[in-house]
Amino acid sequence: MSDSNESQLQIRLITTQDIHAVPDIPLTVPITIDTKALNKLLNQLLKESNHDYLKTKQFDFLAVNHIIRLPLNEHLQEHNVSTEATVDIEYIERTPAPEPQESILHEDWVSSIQSSEKWILTGCYDHSVNIYTHHGKPIASIKDHLEVVKGVTWIDQTDPSKGFISVSHDQTGIIWEWKEGTDVIVPKISLRGHERGVDSVGVSPNALKVATGGWDTNLKIWSALLDIDESGEPSNKKIRAGHRSTFVRTPLHTLKGHKESISVTKWVDDHTVCTASMDHTIKFWDCELFGIKNEIVDQKAFLSASWSPLSKTLLASSADRHIRLYDPRSTEGTICKSMFTSHTLWVSSVVWSNYDEHLFLSGSYDSTVKMWDTRSCKAPLYNLEGHEGQVLTVDWSNKKYLVSGGSDNNVHIFKNKHCLL
Amino acid sequence: MGKLQKPLKRKFDANIKEKVATSTSEHKETDEENEDFLQDNEEVRENDSSDSEGDIENSDSENENYESFEEESEEDNDNLSESDAEEKDSGGEEQEASSSDEEENIEENDRQETNSKTVNTTNDEYDEYDTSDEEDIRNTIGNIPKNWYDEYKHLGYDWDGQQIIKPNTGDHLDEFLKRMEDPNFWRTVKDPQTGQNVILSDDDINLIKRIRAQKIPDVSFDEYAPWIEWFTSQVEQMPIRKIPESKSSFLPSKDEARKVSKLVHALKMGWIKTREEQAKLRAKKEPQFYMLWSTDDQPEEMRRIHKHIPAPKRLLPGHAESYNPPPEYLFDDRELKQWNKLKETPSKRKLHFLPQKYDSLRQVPAYPRYIKERFLRCLDLYLCPRAIKMKLNIEPESLVPKLPSPRDLQPFPTTLAIEYKGHTDMVRTISTDKTGQYLLSGSDDCTIKIWEVNTGRCVKTVITESVVRCVEWCPNGALSLVLVACGNQVLLINPGVGDFVVRNRTDEVLKEVPHNDVIVTERVKSTVQWYEPEPNMYEKGVRIQLNHFKMVSQVTWHGKGDYFGSVMPEGQSRSVLISQISKRKSQLPFTKSKGLVQRILFHPTKPVLFVATQRHVRIYDLLKQAQIKKLMTNSKWISTIAIHPGGDNLLVGTYDRKMLWFDLDLSTKPYQTLRLHGTAVRGVAYHKRYPLFASGSDDRSLIVSHGMVYNDLLKNALIVPLKRLQDHQAFNDFGILDVHFHPLQPWVFSSGADSTIKLYSN
Repeated sequence: MSDSNESQLQIRLITTQDIHAVPDIPLTVPITIDTKALNKLLNQLLKESNHDYLKTKQFDFLAVNHIIRLPLNEHLQEHNVSTEATVDIEYIERTPAPEPQESILHEDWVSSIQSSEKWILTGCYDHSVNIYTHHGKPIASIKDHLEVVKGVTWIDQTDPSKGFISVSHDQTGIIWEWKEGTDVIVPKISLRGHERGVDSVGVSPNALKVATGGWDTNLKIWSALLDIDESGEPSNKKIRAGHRSTFVRTPLHTLKGHKESISVTKWVDDHTVCTASMDHTIKFWDCELFGIKNEIVDQKAFLSASWSPLSKTLLASSADRHIRLYDPRSTEGTICKSMFTSHTLWVSSVVWSNYDEHLFLSGSYDSTVKMWDTRSCKAPLYNLEGHEGQVLTVDWSNKKYLVSGGSDNNVHIFKNKHCLL
Repeated sequence: MGKLQKPLKRKFDANIKEKVATSTSEHKETDEENEDFLQDNEEVRENDSSDSEGDIENSDSENENYESFEEESEEDNDNLSESDAEEKDSGGEEQEASSSDEEENIEENDRQETNSKTVNTTNDEYDEYDTSDEEDIRNTIGNIPKNWYDEYKHLGYDWDGQQIIKPNTGDHLDEFLKRMEDPNFWRTVKDPQTGQNVILSDDDINLIKRIRAQKIPDVSFDEYAPWIEWFTSQVEQMPIRKIPESKSSFLPSKDEARKVSKLVHALKMGWIKTREEQAKLRAKKEPQFYMLWSTDDQPEEMRRIHKHIPAPKRLLPGHAESYNPPPEYLFDDRELKQWNKLKETPSKRKLHFLPQKYDSLRQVPAYPRYIKERFLRCLDLYLCPRAIKMKLNIEPESLVPKLPSPRDLQPFPTTLAIEYKGHTDMVRTISTDKTGQYLLSGSDDCTIKIWEVNTGRCVKTVITESVVRCVEWCPNGALSLVLVACGNQVLLINPGVGDFVVRNRTDEVLKEVPHNDVIVTERVKSTVQWYEPEPNMYEKGVRIQLNHFKMVSQVTWHGKGDYFGSVMPEGQSRSVLISQISKRKSQLPFTKSKGLVQRILFHPTKPVLFVATQRHVRIYDLLKQAQIKKLMTNSKWISTIAIHPGGDNLLVGTYDRKMLWFDLDLSTKPYQTLRLHGTAVRGVAYHKRYPLFASGSDDRSLIVSHGMVYNDLLKNALIVPLKRLQDHQAFNDFGILDVHFHPLQPWVFSSGADSTIKLYSN
């Protein structure tokens, strides 16, 4: 393979992707081999074993469960692995670079965003809630909030006809009804009960309940049903002057426990809400017993968090430049499993991909969006440039599109080619 | 005694010896079976020497003897020993068969046996135990180490003087085979005297085991036999020993009698005295002395000089003093001239003598000044008092107080997180609301702005009529109000952010103008007028407007949020004004001018007002209307003050680059003076929750320090500078104008002359 002067190393190439399997033979490679050379080697092997294999593909290589970025010997040294024994190197097909698509210019900062199968829902600092197609075509927009809209979410991502919810600093949330594809948005139910601005909203996986949290430090659970009769809760009809009629809904439950504002509310499962707060804690609430199930305490104020049902872990970003991966199941010692550091300013938003347990997206005040693999802590897979101000929100609910909104009034859409293959 | 002991000992020795000897002789026969040459040897000996033959017989007989003894002593011995004996017998028979010549010998042996038995019956101890003759006859070299023959082929000489050739010792292979095959290999040892292999018997092994176990080798010896007390104090009726009594035991000694009589005579004559008589005499004659000085018994010199200081040492003579100095030390003409020139002032000379050269030491004349110099030296030492110089060895490091490492004092702001951009001129003042959601800033561009802290979004801008010099958010959470000092006005503005209910209630409360009966004095009236705002001002959020007669430089809330104080530095005796919102009333606490008032501050809990004038900080009790304290800052111009949330510590920033920490319980002088900044300090602030304080100065640097105040009154505050943050741009020689901490997080805001506000997070 190479001159004998250089020290060599035995590797075995393994994979979990059947279509790219190569014969399981130990190979001797120079110790300083890097990803490029490994790619070349693997492509050669694939060509030999499979004659249908024509186009060279790019792969990422993992040793010791971390993506190899450095020459192999340095990588192994970093993870304290001996170079004497045969090293198992797993390879996966490289996640292709996301392709920049349209950008949607808003009138003001975009505070929150969520995409569904066909539509992108955005909440804006100009008090408006907007719906766009993935090609950037505005469908509907409505200004019914009196203050900055801080959070938007579809009630059911697969079925936009079930409506969506927005929360705002005017201390209310609104459940909207929207006929898919039209520009008619009707505020159906007003969620009243918060005493300060509402920052975050989350809908349970079964689309029955909504959790909101905000600056009054309370977590409130509401019914997410559009239908007023079925919810079976005390609600009174209220007619606002010169406006369409909306119903007022009061919270089913108010959960107190945080000392400072709640920045994120996410549902873990149908009965568990996870909240990350500025008081340096992440709390897991049981929504049947209405108590705290679990708590993660750290040193810094949390700005964002995302729960992955695939890996059962929690990503959180605090008021610093790191993203931390927590495993709430581990009970002893530090529950921070790893730390992802590449951003230079506060990370305002993180979100897991919903199809791969390793991929996630983060947006930061340093005006970059980064796509990460959990197996590579020090460097992201891709930097998605384009924003000119702080990135305030990112979303990957629709696995085909990476969307982000920021203080440059823009929403940038990136096409994730990984899923189109 | 000697006679008594010796036989006993010998008996014991003999016992052991005999056992070893018998064991060797026991193996002799088995050896004979194995090794033919030995037999030959023996035959040679038997044939050639009658003496040695007798010896053999003797030993044999003793062997038998031993056997019999064994049988006698241990009748119920195990079968092994008996079979051994049988084997031996059979061995004997074989021997008979092998050599017919020996038959006679055996017969003779038998005879001898009976003989020896009969001999044994007689009590001749020497015959039985003396082992001098039972040396192994095969030892042909006498009592010398065998290794002396290591280099030779032979081992000793036989009767005819012929060399006895050494037996073939087997090589390693033989040895290995033997080890494999011979069951007795492990008990085979080489006799160092004869060089032959000897198989140890069970008894020998027992013996060796006993010796190794440190037991008495003789099995039959009873260690715990009852003690027989032969020699006791009791007089026996019969003597134990047959030694006759010595003569001296019953005849008196004449010599002793002579000595005694001499002593008796001396006593009679009074030549010697008994001890009692001596004591009596001593008591009669000797005078009674006692120590007058307690230190009398100590050395003489220590009594006079408590701390001896040795005379200073003189310098050792150098080359110039030598009788034969090197030529360069000898004076040339010029030096000599110089030396002579200084005749009048000899003390100025470099040397006090002329170096002189002599060929030999013998030629050196007597030194004429010797006596005089010695005398002068003595005079020096005598007249010049010596004193011990106390030297303090202080290492500079030990003087520096031990401060904890900043890493242990986390969290504190370290990194620039967010910049709040939007103002177009210097941002003079900043403040935050109680929850830390919003930031308020006032700038020279005649605006106040409200920012969302977490995103850096400007939420609201209110345009004022003139430069905003001070803003402060109301500390009362139930009121949504901010205090703004701009120009001659003080504005109470409802910022319109936060809780709706609070906002609306604030407006409602402020709408009701309280009915006021109290007549406002002319003095106050001329100082300030309360106004309801114009509708367009109301629209902006202004709820109450106070017009002052002079420019207002600072406004500050009382902790409860009802009173506020305002400062007009040019107002002379009316420079400090305290106003109450609920009554829409103002009052002037001071009748006299106290100097140029820089800042005022309310105590966080007590009704106490701090007034910082140009050089001092005065503390007033508002209830008693009296001055409590006057803090001496020892600086030229105070710029700003901040109070610790506990209320007992005050931080003063000055234009002469200093920061002064006052512990109000401690003294009126600064507890610590911090000279951290290069230029005027313009803003200081304490954190409400964390033990942090920060200062901003014109040198553009924001310095975050740890300021821990302990509840323990005996423990002084711990002050550790932690971090210098220098991100602001300089603008007209101004750097940072105001510093403010986030109310909840360990974050700090700094507002600069470069029209930005920066947030530093941990």
